[in-house]
This record gives sequence, structure tokens and C-alpha cells, in this order.
Amino acid sequence: MDRECALLLPGVCAVLAGSGSSLPDDTSLEKLLDWFTGITEDGGSLLETCPCLLKLISTVVHNAASDPGVLSFTLRLTGLLAATEESFKTIQEHPVLNKVFNLQHWQEAGLWEDPCLRIGWIQGLRSMLQHPKALSFFVQSGFIDPLLQLQTDTSLFIAEAANQMLAHILLFFQPVPPAGCKGMDKKEKGDGMTPSSADYTAVVKSISGYLKESLVPKESKNVRQSLQTLKLLALLLAQAGPPLRDKLLQTVGDSLEELVTAGSSELTLPLMDVILSACSSSGTDERITRLLSSMLNINKPADLIHAAAAFLRRGHHDTVHTARAVRILLLPLDIMTGQTLLGTISTADEHQFSVVEQLKSKSSCISMICVCLSNTPQITLTPPDVLPCLPVSIVTAVLSLLRICSGNSPSSSTGCSEVSRNVIGSSKVQKCALEALTTLTSSPGAKERISEVFTVLIQYLENPDSDPTVLHKSYQALLKWTSVCTDFSFITDQLRHDLVEVVKKRVCDMRWEVKDSTVEFLGHLAGVCDSIKAAAEERDASEALLGDCSTTPLLREALQDSESYVRASAISALAKTLTHRWQQGATLTEEEPEIVSRLLEILSQDSEGFPRRAVVQYFISWYSSHSPPSSSSSSSSSSSSSLLMQSVRSVLSQGRADLDWEVKVHTLVLAELLLDEAFSGHPGYKKGSDSHHASPHAYGVVSEQAYTLHTHTATHTEGAESDLAVVVEQGVVSVLLSGLVDCDRPVALKACRLLITLRETVCPLSLGALDASAAMATVSCELPGCGWGREILKILKMKKSDQAKEEDIADQSGLNGAEEGGDSVCVSVCEALRSLGLDERMEVLTQSSDHIHNSPLSLLQDILTASATHTKPGEEVIVDCY
Amino acid sequence: MKLYCLSGHPTLPCNVLKFKSTTIMLDCGLDTTSVLNFLPLPLVHSPRLSKLPGWVSKDGSANLQKELKECAGRVFVDSQPEFCLPERELLDLSTIDVILISNYHCMMALPYITEHTGFTGTVYATEPTLTIGRLFMEELVNFMERVPKAQSATCWKNKEMQRMLPGPLKDVVDVWAWKRSYSIQEVNSALSKVQLVGYSQKVELFGAVQVSPLSSGYSLGSSNWIIQSHHEKVSYVSGSSLLTTHPQPMDQSSLKNSDVLILTGLTQMPTANPDGMLGEFCSNLAMTIRAGGNVLVPCYSSGVIYDLLECLYQFIDSANLGTTPFYFISPVANSSLEFSQIFAEWLCHNKQSKVYLPEPPFPHAELIQTNKLKHYPSIHGDFSSEFRQPCVVFTGHPSLRFGDVVHFMELWGKSSINTIIFTEPDFSYLDALAPYQPLAMKCVYCPIDTRLNFHQVSKLLKEVQPLHVVCPEQYTQPPLTQSHRSDLMLELQPPPMPYRRCSVLNLPHRRRYERVYILPELANSLVPSEIKPGVSLATVSAVLHSKDNKHTLQLVPKPPPVAPSKKRKRVLEEPPAVLAPKTLLSGAVPLEAFLATLQNHGFTEVKVEETADGHILHLQAEDTLIQLEEDGTHIVCDNNEPLRTTLRDLVLRFLQKL
Repeated sequence: MDRECALLLPGVCAVLAGSGSSLPDDTSLEKLLDWFTGITEDGGSLLETCPCLLKLISTVVHNAASDPGVLSFTLRLTGLLAATEESFKTIQEHPVLNKVFNLQHWQEAGLWEDPCLRIGWIQGLRSMLQHPKALSFFVQSGFIDPLLQLQTDTSLFIAEAANQMLAHILLFFQPVPPAGCKGMDKKEKGDGMTPSSADYTAVVKSISGYLKESLVPKESKNVRQSLQTLKLLALLLAQAGPPLRDKLLQTVGDSLEELVTAGSSELTLPLMDVILSACSSSGTDERITRLLSSMLNINKPADLIHAAAAFLRRGHHDTVHTARAVRILLLPLDIMTGQTLLGTISTADEHQFSVVEQLKSKSSCISMICVCLSNTPQITLTPPDVLPCLPVSIVTAVLSLLRICSGNSPSSSTGCSEVSRNVIGSSKVQKCALEALTTLTSSPGAKERISEVFTVLIQYLENPDSDPTVLHKSYQALLKWTSVCTDFSFITDQLRHDLVEVVKKRVCDMRWEVKDSTVEFLGHLAGVCDSIKAAAEERDASEALLGDCSTTPLLREALQDSESYVRASAISALAKTLTHRWQQGATLTEEEPEIVSRLLEILSQDSEGFPRRAVVQYFISWYSSHSPPSSSSSSSSSSSSSLLMQSVRSVLSQGRADLDWEVKVHTLVLAELLLDEAFSGHPGYKKGSDSHHASPHAYGVVSEQAYTLHTHTATHTEGAESDLAVVVEQGVVSVLLSGLVDCDRPVALKACRLLITLRETVCPLSLGALDASAAMATVSCELPGCGWGREILKILKMKKSDQAKEEDIADQSGLNGAEEGGDSVCVSVCEALRSLGLDERMEVLTQSSDHIHNSPLSLLQDILTASATHTKPGEEVIVDCY
Repeated sequence: MKLYCLSGHPTLPCNVLKFKSTTIMLDCGLDTTSVLNFLPLPLVHSPRLSKLPGWVSKDGSANLQKELKECAGRVFVDSQPEFCLPERELLDLSTIDVILISNYHCMMALPYITEHTGFTGTVYATEPTLTIGRLFMEELVNFMERVPKAQSATCWKNKEMQRMLPGPLKDVVDVWAWKRSYSIQEVNSALSKVQLVGYSQKVELFGAVQVSPLSSGYSLGSSNWIIQSHHEKVSYVSGSSLLTTHPQPMDQSSLKNSDVLILTGLTQMPTANPDGMLGEFCSNLAMTIRAGGNVLVPCYSSGVIYDLLECLYQFIDSANLGTTPFYFISPVANSSLEFSQIFAEWLCHNKQSKVYLPEPPFPHAELIQTNKLKHYPSIHGDFSSEFRQPCVVFTGHPSLRFGDVVHFMELWGKSSINTIIFTEPDFSYLDALAPYQPLAMKCVYCPIDTRLNFHQVSKLLKEVQPLHVVCPEQYTQPPLTQSHRSDLMLELQPPPMPYRRCSVLNLPHRRRYERVYILPELANSLVPSEIKPGVSLATVSAVLHSKDNKHTLQLVPKPPPVAPSKKRKRVLEEPPAVLAPKTLLSGAVPLEAFLATLQNHGFTEVKVEETADGHILHLQAEDTLIQLEEDGTHIVCDNNEPLRTTLRDLVLRFLQKL
């Protein structure tokens, strides 16, 4: 704690002790507590540094009129102060400790009704209970019963906190640190920390007794208590060491059995959680195994399915139960689709009957089928001896379910018609099934069904009633299946024709979401092709899927769309489609210049940010994947290059002036690429100095591979200054300088980093490089007389004058090489780089913008100021928390 | 109550309801699918059609070269197209009192019924139904009359001949009942019998029943009908829609508590959701235009086209179709577009409110103003000089057998960049396209049928709770092609009564009550006596007067004072003394109490015998029987009047007198 804070703290304590109502906002107490917690965690002792806190506690506790918020704060603070054994002793010397946590006191004062106070009590004790002394205090004060009562408090937060606290006590003070103990920080638990066994035993006894009592609901209205207790039990069993665990299981075993037999729907899942936690920690306890078996045999189909799903999710490897769970989950699919997934159903015909009955009701049918579907991918991955059928039959079942959902199923192949009519047209089931189908690509043998998959998916894309999200999922499934496909021979002309037609149609859809998904699909498909090409596949996927139908005209059309998202998606899809051509250095097609001019038009005129960002990224990916013209390249390839360079220049100047900060950041990324190319051969240049690449954005088109390293073709004899001149001429330096004075921090930060890199490269401050920098000084750039140019100039002049003052030389003749001529000004790049004070600027920029307002000092000041203002009557303080 | 079903077509119904003393025809639909068996009528000479080979049977035994032509493997009748009329033999159509029309699609057979059957009644319809129905009829007549055929083919209808014909022609039934289109005079005469009604207006029919149209939400002025007497209610639900398109929303609540609900006109495309189809329509249209092709939309001149235009109005800009011309070609195009704008009270609320702004309710007005939509009476005249491609053409007739659409089929059919989009659900598109094969043009089928689907109708029925439902038999089973879709049929408890063409149904409802009025003076003279708490009875003697199905009880007229006359006739002319009506008895004789009473009066030897209807008491000493039955008591004794009287009085003690 710094000196200033320490000075302010007593004042703040006085304010708090006086009345809490004058706090600047309701988060300030939390912030204060966070700050104290931080200090404690760093090993500082609050008691020593701020004795005033103790005084605060005692004042507040004795003041009956204290604000409940402040009281709660005080309770938590006390806990925090007493968190170490040493400070606990210190506090115990004062009479406050008993008073602070004295329940009776609060109840008599009528303050216990306030949930604020109750949670403060729990959290205070929770912070304190880090050492045996505290446990003794806790036990001796008889706090265990009130805590158990709080477990079913009306406030959910309090109930949850009480649960956590109970778990904490049992787990933290376990006699022997269990080997498999997860997530517990044991570093504070040194030698001599073992609590007196009497205290711990007492705690264990009362808690486990309580668990046993409260587990089985006495009446139906007590279900909530059972729920809470089950939650606590699951927490405990997952982390308890053997002695504690065995003790717990022994105590609650009977109650658990009773609960399983009772089969309450509400309790199924939490009960399953408990049993599974016990299973995972205790291994093969016979009783637990028996419980698990009974859970997988309960009579209510809907509960049973949820239990089975929970079992599979936990990833158990117990063959018998896994087989059982798999059968449970596959049964509804079997019934619905008529696919014999379970072989001939010999056992549990009665169960099947009740499942069919359940499936006849629409709502329960949909929810059950969705649970089954979402588990199918995992089922196919279970060992073959557990599966009642081949994994591929599950894929077939999902496919026929998809057909039933769209009403396309031939009557012969469906199962129970009374059941299947419930899912016809249900987009929820459709979505679930499509998701399952997407994940099923990794199932063994799934590829056998690929042709069928494509047929069904294309049917879905064609279906006029498909919901936009269903269409989106269909596209995703199609992409996923395409990406795992190695052999496209199954694609017939008919299939290809259908897909082409449907894509063409969907690009013209009325709903923009559909157009967007379609355009996106075309882009991703081009991406898939690339990855397949890399795997040396002769025919690429796009060609296989879409034949000779070029997607470019469709995408170009989408550039005109009225919806900005669609335009943006079209731009990124175009980039993905063309990436391959760029990488090959293919000749410029006729349409490319048209696309480029349309893109530049979007960049300069589009009113929405998304398409503009996408345009800059288009050029980023073009620039980073194009191969620079080599001497052997044809004239057409160089025309592609010159088109690129020409447009990059306009992108830089447009992007620089954009209103959207993301566009500006992307523009800086492009500028960085140009810098990379210009200086990559230069010894001092550190490529990728800015490690923060623009985070991948939904519409990001930057290809996933790292930027290709282009060999620098120009000869090095001319040195870096010609490179610098080129960079200046391209407008890169203007972009960087304008970015530096941008009011958006990410932009300024990125620009600053790049400028520093540039400075290190072209004019390093080392003796050996002096010659070079002298030559470099001749390269200058032009600053416009207004806007960012003037800002830069102002900085330069200020720095200059500072320097001048310090050196006592009143040389106001202007910067070296800077000539004030008319509107714009020319400055030497090197000079500017050195005099802009980039390093200080960098330091400011890297701090978050609210670093000043977030300091503890400012918090303390705020509290003081607010109280000062508050004392003046009739004046209302409105404080903006943000 | 009887229902005569004259049409088997579920969406073009024609039923006759006999209810109380009235005979009511419900709709008068004309089944036009018969025209698919005919060759198209080209507006411009078509070398292709004129060169088609005539049909000769394989063995040469049947030669109908002049009447039948072969085209793309099928045989078509080369004659003026003919329509399949409602059945006219099932009952005497001249006895029909009124015809209720539910919408303009369901009145196309009207001239056939009103003009040649001796019909003398009235037709009831709403104003838009009449106006647009007239447009449809005029258009039909115009389509037929501007391409006159010199001869009409009849030989093929010969039963012997028909049996030898190939394909669908062999199987069509009742071909002799098919008729050519009516003339404009017949249309005018038929429509002159129409009486206009407004929604919820009550029309008395001969005092026996009241009929009243309700909005059905399907098209401008479309209605369902309530036919009710004092104690019975029959609802007639024809084409109805719950979608919020342009017409006034459907009035569902008035259908509640019907004894019988006759349900027709459900969607013909239960699997095609109108929204999805509209989307399909737009995207296919945009796709074709972008590829430089033309789009042909065969459609009726009113109805869904308003929704299509509205949808396109919103879609045009987002799909960059702003410069593409849209043409609407129909002899009645102008009237249809204009009429639709003035039927304010028949529009949905949203559109109604626009009428009061300086803004037309339908956006097609704006399309016309901005020259994006142009309409022409036919392809001749102005159209040919202003025609620009690629374009979108809306024109009739959806059967592709007559109308301007035939010309565009010939013009654009050969190129695969053009697209024909079917939006009307009335005709199978494959059959419609049959005489144009081979066809290079792309064909898209997106039938838009906004009428109730099975899901909606079962919800509706659950809400309005009719006692009995009558519907075409097609609705009681899943569609033939999708036999597993048990969701595409009506499942009701009790099951609906199905009908087919020529069915005569005895509706299960039995009439039990009739309302009779009683005059105040007569009522005043009644002396009710309470027979049990809350129930009083009185006897009444009156004259029942029935006129116009209204029944009134009037005072018995006093005999006119007798004029003094000749003495010798005096005895005869004495007015018969008005007998005081005998008191009426009610109640039952309690056996035990009666026996006790008998005992008291000295009848001691009583033997009681139980019978099916009551008891027989045998007074052995007196040799007398008393039969106590539910609705009568008999005392059988031999010539012992005093005994009988005594016993009678004992019985009467237990009964109430009026």
C-alpha cells in the first residue's frame, strides 16, 4: 500500500463508520474489498498497516444504525483480516470478533432479515476459515446449525454460498490431503495446520447427519432442500479424499437408495450427478454401482433418457452401464425411424411401450428426440462391443430422421407414424439432427453414407420451408462432410446440378440470413478446396461439388446486396475464392479489375462498417498471398501485381481516413505487410514486431497460414533509404503517422508499434548506423496542413521547443528539413521518427484507458469526495459508474 | 336436413342444402381441369400446333384425325375447351330458392345454373365477389371468343369411341356433360340475379331461415355463411384463410355452436407453406432475371397476384431488379388493379387504414406510377411496341390452354434461360405443360394456396366445436402420394361425414323445436298452474296461423252473431255449444299409497301383478282390474258404473289437474 493511500484510509474509515449512504456508487465497497483482498494475497498484513480498520469494525458493529451494506462489508472485512492464524489471534484479543459474527446480536437488531447481512456473514466466515483456530472458533460458537439452515435460504445466492461454504469446511480441513484432490489450493496449509480432530469430527458429524436427514424430501414441497443437498453432496464427493468420502457414502447411502427408488423427476439429474461423482472417485463401490444400475432402469422414459445422457457425458468406461445407456438413448430413434438399431428388441418390451406412449405427445417427443440426437456422435465413438449396431446404422437413422422431419420420407421406411408426425416440420429437431450429422463425420464408417448425406442435405437446402438457421446448419454439415471427403466420385451429375441450382437460388433468397449463409458457404467451400489441394487431391472439392459453375458471378452479384452483412460475406468469400489463383500467380481475369473497382467503391462509399472492413481484409489477403513479380513472370501476372499495388495505395489512403476504428486497424495491418516486404531483407528489421495481429473476425479474410515471406528482390546496394522512399511513396508512412494521432487507442497503439519498428530499422540510435541514418535523412514525407498532419506537426514543434528550452538554444528556424510551404509541409521521416517521442507515447498507450480511474487511490478519493459533497444538503450527486 | 353434393371438387364446391322449407345452393364452382384435355388456343398462328398429327388408333379402326391431335406422346382434343359442370340430374335445380356464393372462384358455373334450369331464385354475394367474379367471367369469355374454333369435337365423346382412346381421355367421366363456355349475355343475365350483401348482414329467407355472410379471410369479399333458424345453426365454411394477407381477417367466433358445419375449400397444397413458396417465387424470379432470362407467371387476374406484387415491391430493390419491367396482361388487368384499391371495407385493417391516408392500400399503385409495373389488355396493341426483355409477365390462364399465356409459352419455351413459375394451385403443372413438350424453359412450381391447412382447421374446429362436420371425402384420408402423412387429414371425434360427387347425405341433425308466437290477448287468458316448483302449465285453445314460415297462435274467433233466420232451421243453426275443455291430468299413481287408499275404502282383496309397463291390480272380490301404466290407467269392470266412478275418483286423488 502506498503512502498516499495509507494516509487517506483513516478518513475513508471514518466516512464508512459514519454512514454508508454517502458512497459514490454501490460498487465502491466491493472495489475496496477487492483491493484489500489483493493486499492480503500478496502477503501484506492489513492489521499492521491499517490499524484503523479494526476501529472501523468495532464502531460499525456497535452502531445499530449502520447501513446493512456497510455491515455486510464489515463482516467480510473481518473475515479477511482474520484469515491468517496470527492476525486471528490479534483480533481475538479485541472483543469484536465474537460480536461481529454473533448471530443472536444481528437477529435481535432485526438486521438478519437483510440478505445483504446474511451473505456477508457467510463470506466473512468463509474468508476466515483458512486455519484450525478459525475452525475451533466456528465450532465453539455453534455456527454450524445456522449455516445448515442458510443452505435452504430464500435467496438463491445465499443458499449457494452456504453450500459452497459447507463444502469448503469439509474439504479444506480433511485430515490427510487426498492425492486426487482437485482445485484446492493447499499452499497455505502448512504443518501444524491440522485442526484438532475433535473440531473436525464434530463438523463432519453434524454435516453428514444433516445430509442424511435432508436428502429425502419429507413432503413434496421440500424438494428444494433435497436439490440443494444433492448439489452439496456432488461437490463433496467429487473432491473428497477416501476417508471423508467413505464416511459420507456410508452415511447417506440409504437415503440415496430411497431417493432412487422414489424416482422423482425433478431430482433425477442432480441425483445422477451425485452417483456419477461417487463413481468417478470411488471406483467400483458395489453399492454405488447398484445405484447407478437402478438409475438406468427407472420407469419414466423422459427421466431415463436424461439420466443416460448424463451418464454418457461423464465419459464412464463401464461396459455394462454404457451399453445400457446407449440402448436407452437409441430406442426413441429406433422407434421413430424404424431402423433396427437395437436388433430385435427382446427385453423391456414394456419399457418400449411406455417410450412409444411418451413419444406420442408432441412436446415430450421433441425434447426426447433432441437429447438422443445430441448424444449420437458420442455413441458412435463407444467401443464396438458396447454398441448394439454398427455406427453407420446410427448415421442412417439420423438421415432417415432428417427425411421424416422434412416430410420427405417414403412411408415404407418410417417407424411409428403416430410418433413421426410429431416431428414433421419441427425446425428444432431439424437443427439438432443436422448438428448431430455434422459431428457424425468422425464416426467410424460414416463415409459409406456420404452420398446419402449429400442427397439429404441438398434436399434440405432446396426445401422452401427450411428455416434460415436450418439452412445455415445444412451448409455447415455440407462443408464438414466435404472437408472429410477424400473421394468425390460419388457425386453424380444430378447431385451436382441440384446443388448448383439450389445455391444459385439461395443467393437470391428473400431473407438476408439465407443469402449470407449461402455466400459464406461459397467462401468456405473455396477454403476447403485449398486444404484439399494441399493434400494433393487432383480434383478440388469446389469443382467436384459445383462442376464448372463459377461462383464468382454469384458473389459479385452479392456485392450489390442491400444488406451490409451479405456484402461483407461476399467480399470475404471472393477473397477466399481467389486466394488460390493469387498464390499461383495466375493471370488477371477480366472480372478482377471490375471486382477491385467495386470494392474500392464500397470502401469509399459504403455506409456500414462490415463491408468496409472486409474490403481492407480482402486486400490484406491478396497482398499476403500474391507472388511478387519475378523476372520470368508474364506480363499479365505483372499486370495483376500492378493492379494490386495501385489499389493498395488507394486502400491505404481511404482506410486511413475511415471513421471505423477496425477499418483503420486493418489498414495498419496492410501497411505492416508493405513494411515487411520493403524491409524484410534489411538486417535491423524485426518482422512481426507487433505480435497482436488483428484478432480473427467473423468476416476476417486473412488466410490462416502465416504471411508468406517474400524474398526481397530489389538489390540491397542502394540501402534502406530507397526502400524507405518506396514505402513513403506508397503512403505507408502517412497511414502510420495519421494512426499515431488517432483518438482510438487500438489504432494509435498499432501505429506506434509499427513506427517504432520502422525507426529501429531506418534510423537506429547506434553509432555504427550513423552513416546510414545520414543518408536516410534525405527521405522526407509530406504532411497535409490540416487534420492529422497538423497534429503531427504540433507534436514535432512541441518536442523541438522542449529540446530547445533544455538546451537553452532558441533555434526556432523550424525542423531540420521541414519546410513550411503553403498547405502541406514536408518533414524528414527519420527526424520525425526520432522526435515524435514514440517510446513515451507507447507507454501511455499500452496502459488501459481507465488506469487512472481504477487505482485504489482514486477509489479512496472518490469516497471522500462523495461524502464531502453529500454533507452539503440539497445537492444531489450523480455519479456515472462507468 | 339433406345435403346434395353436385361437385366432387373439394375447392370448387357446389352443394344443395335442404333445410326447413328452403333449398339453398352453396357455391357454384366450375371444375376447369377438364380443359387440360384440350389443345391450347394460340393467339397468334402457331405453326407447331397447326402441324400436329391427327390421332388414329393403332389398328386403324378409330379415326379421329380431325378431333384429336397427338402432341408429345399425348392426345388432345382439338376443339373449343369445355368445362365440367356441377351435376344437374341429382335434383330439380329449378326448385332452388337461393344460391349463396362464398368467393369469386366458386361462382364460375353460375350462368349454367341460372340460365338453363328454370332457376327463379336469388343469388347472394358480396360486392367484391360479384365485381371480381364478373371480371373472371368476362376474361374467360374474352379468352374463348377471340380465338373462335370453327367446329366443336363431339365424336370422341361417343362411348364406343372413348373406350378406344389412349391415356387420360379414356378415363374421363361424364364427358357428355361437359359444356363450352357461356356467352357474355348469359353472364350478364346470371349476374343480374345477384343480390349484394355485406358481412354479418342478416337475410331472411321466407321467414324460415336467416343467412348471413362472414369474412373468411381468403380473398377480397370472400365469405363463409351461417344458415340458421331459431333452433338450428348450419355453418358453411368455404375457402378461408388465417394468414394476414390483404383481405379482412377471418371471423371465427361466429361459427361457434353450429349443429352442422360443412367444410370445403381447404388448401390444395397441404405440404407447400405459402411463405416458403413466396420466398421460392422471389428467388427463382431474381435468379432468372440475373441470368438474363424472362419470367412467365401464369395466374388469375385477381387474388394471389396482389400479394405477389406486394412481395415483389419489397423484394425488387434488395435483389437489384429495379430496372426489370413487370407486365400484367389480361383483358381485365386494369379493372382488377383499380377495383382492388377501392374495396376499402373488405381489406385487412392495415390496408383499410391506408385508404384514409393519401396513399393507396396496395403498393402496386406505386409500381404502376413508377412505371415498374405495366398492364395491358392483351399482347396486341401497345404492348408489342413497349415490350422489353428480360422481363416478368403475369398473365392468364393458369391452365395454359387459352389466354395470352399461350403466346408466351410459344415465344419463350424454347430457351433454357427463361423460367415459368406456377403459382396457382388449381392445375397440375405437368399436365398444364404437356402440350408444350419438349420444353427447354425452366419450370418452377411454387403453388401459393393461402387456404386453411389441416393443422389450422383442426385448431379451428377444436375452437368452434360443431356437433357434426361434413366434408369432401378427400379430407378424410392422407393424400394418395403421401400415404404416410397422417398429419394431412382431418381426424375428428365424431368422425366427419364424407361426401363425393352425387352423394345425398341425410344430415344427422334432427329438428326438435319450432318457434310459435302467441298473441298477447291469448297469453293474457292463460291460467298457468304450477305442477312442480318452477314449472307451470296451462292449457290453451287457439287457432294456429302459419304464414311465411311464421307460426302464430291466435284467439279462437267468436262465432259471428247468428242472424235471426227461419224457424225451421233453428235447431240446426244453433251454434254447437263450446265444450269446456276437459281438465288435463298429470302425475303418477304411487302404488303403495293407492293400495292403502283402496284398503281404506274397503277393497281388501287386492292382488298386484307386475307388468312391463306398470302394474295390474286385481280386485278379486269385485272382479275388477285396474291397470296402472306410465301414461294411462284403465279400470275394467263389468257394468258397474258406481264402482268404476268410485275407483276413478280414488285414482284422481293422486293426480294433479290442470
